Amino acid sequence: MNILKQELRMGRKSLIIWCLSLAGILVLFMLIYPSISSQLEDFQKVFKSFPIEFQRALGIADLQLNTILSYYQFPFTYILLAGAVQAMNMGVAVISSEIREKTGDFLFVKPVTRNRIISMKIMAVLVQILITNAFVFVAALITVSILSAEPYNVKLFVLITSSLLFIQIFFASLGLFVSAFLRRIRTVLPISMGVVFIFYIVFLLNETLKDDKLGLISPFGYFDLSELSKTMNYDSLYLLLWFVLVGLFIFLTFRLFARKDLPSI
Amino acid sequence: MNVIEINQLTKYYGKHRGIENVTFSVEEGEIFGFIGPNGAGKSTTIRALLSLIHPTSGSATIFGKDCIKYGSELRRDIGYLPSEVFYYEHMKVLEVLKYSASFYDNVNYTRIQTLADVMDLDLNKRIDDLSYGNKKKVGIVQGLLHEPKLIILDEPTGGLDPLMQQKFFDLIRTENKKGATVLFSSHILSEVQKLCGRVAIIKDGTIVKIENIRDMQKHNYKKFTLEYSGVIDVHHFNLDGITNLTLDKNTLHFLFKGDINRIVERLQGQALLNMLVEEPSLEEIFMHYYQKED
Repeated sequence: MNILKQELRMGRKSLIIWCLSLAGILVLFMLIYPSISSQLEDFQKVFKSFPIEFQRALGIADLQLNTILSYYQFPFTYILLAGAVQAMNMGVAVISSEIREKTGDFLFVKPVTRNRIISMKIMAVLVQILITNAFVFVAALITVSILSAEPYNVKLFVLITSSLLFIQIFFASLGLFVSAFLRRIRTVLPISMGVVFIFYIVFLLNETLKDDKLGLISPFGYFDLSELSKTMNYDSLYLLLWFVLVGLFIFLTFRLFARKDLPSI
Repeated sequence: MNVIEINQLTKYYGKHRGIENVTFSVEEGEIFGFIGPNGAGKSTTIRALLSLIHPTSGSATIFGKDCIKYGSELRRDIGYLPSEVFYYEHMKVLEVLKYSASFYDNVNYTRIQTLADVMDLDLNKRIDDLSYGNKKKVGIVQGLLHEPKLIILDEPTGGLDPLMQQKFFDLIRTENKKGATVLFSSHILSEVQKLCGRVAIIKDGTIVKIENIRDMQKHNYKKFTLEYSGVIDVHHFNLDGITNLTLDKNTLHFLFKGDINRIVERLQGQALLNMLVEEPSLEEIFMHYYQKED
């Protein structure tokens, strides 16, 4: 438990900043809604005049802008993107920082097994992801409830907002795996930004191509918000794939780290 | 009983050699020196003992148990001071020490204070405000706070001023008297001579020799540098025990092993400008080991 506590302490500042920024951006975007809701019909006409490939790439092909939740998807896509970067940052950094900051010679000579250190660190990442999600969820719930003049579909709201949790857990476990796989990581942000954006571009590309196999590559496609509003549920195949991949990444993290040599200072 | 037993321990980093067939053992209650030049493999051996790295072949046991397999259990009784210390930069010294203590059962918190007082360490400073020497002191307190039965020191004196080195040596001696076994790695022969009973000498990844310090003192080498005003008669120093004699204009260098009075006798009536008598560096000592083998 002491490692968990220590990790949470060290990540406290960055967690607060991430929570405030994510919720801030979301609320800010939502606050525009009342002022443009009357013109949404016009927006939709403009969108419909775009070429269909372009519409798909922007994720507006099936868009119905007449409810608050269909507008909510828009800013939330960017929350997913930013949240993915946050989670991957944590995943990559949580173990590799001990090596980068050269504190490994302190922690790894303590009477704890490596597996325990890694479990505690994964737990710390999970707790921080849960805190982020709770914060964003509550902020979004309050904002949507205040701004919505008529009742909205609560289930759809929960589905959209919870996709952040799934996306974050995916990228955190991917980050852990990357950190166990690479020998030495000098900077974290370029890695996580790079990986997240590549996945996002693959997702956007596939929005135009609509290729089933390509869809399996990007986790953003697993929780496609515009699909959600049609099916009103997560795709069970994608959910299974998500589960398998997260499990695999975590397993490999333990496996690779058990055999890793700590580079001498 | 042997506290540490290292048997044919070998570590390769890819193709790069770390150590090869290192074998030695450390008995309970002794202060065992481990000397060798930089890059000889001292740290590699120590890191394998602490299971920070995994040996390519061979094995090592601590308290009779395999150091990789029972690593976490064994580390309860090991105190380790690395050659360079790094801690979580934004924490205060006391926070780091408390975090360290939280890994062990029954740490007496007054001990942290006592150790910090001895080493003259300010517990309320932040780690990133500390000088190199002060960080080293944190390392010392951190390595000793749980009263380990085995203390592993990897070039511990770097950054400490002579007064602190003395206090640190006293601390190690006290722990040793209380029953702790010490493995002391260093590249400075004189500090090993001061503290240790036996030493293992490592060079290029292999153990060259294991000796008693007392035996080593018998080959107590001194390095002489004599500067003359006039012509030097090299034959004047045609003595047993003089080696590595070199003449550089009017300066004479040599190593001498034996009764120092014999050199003093020879110097009488000589017109000297300057004279230096120094401890030879470890490399120079090593040269003798190799020459002996030839």
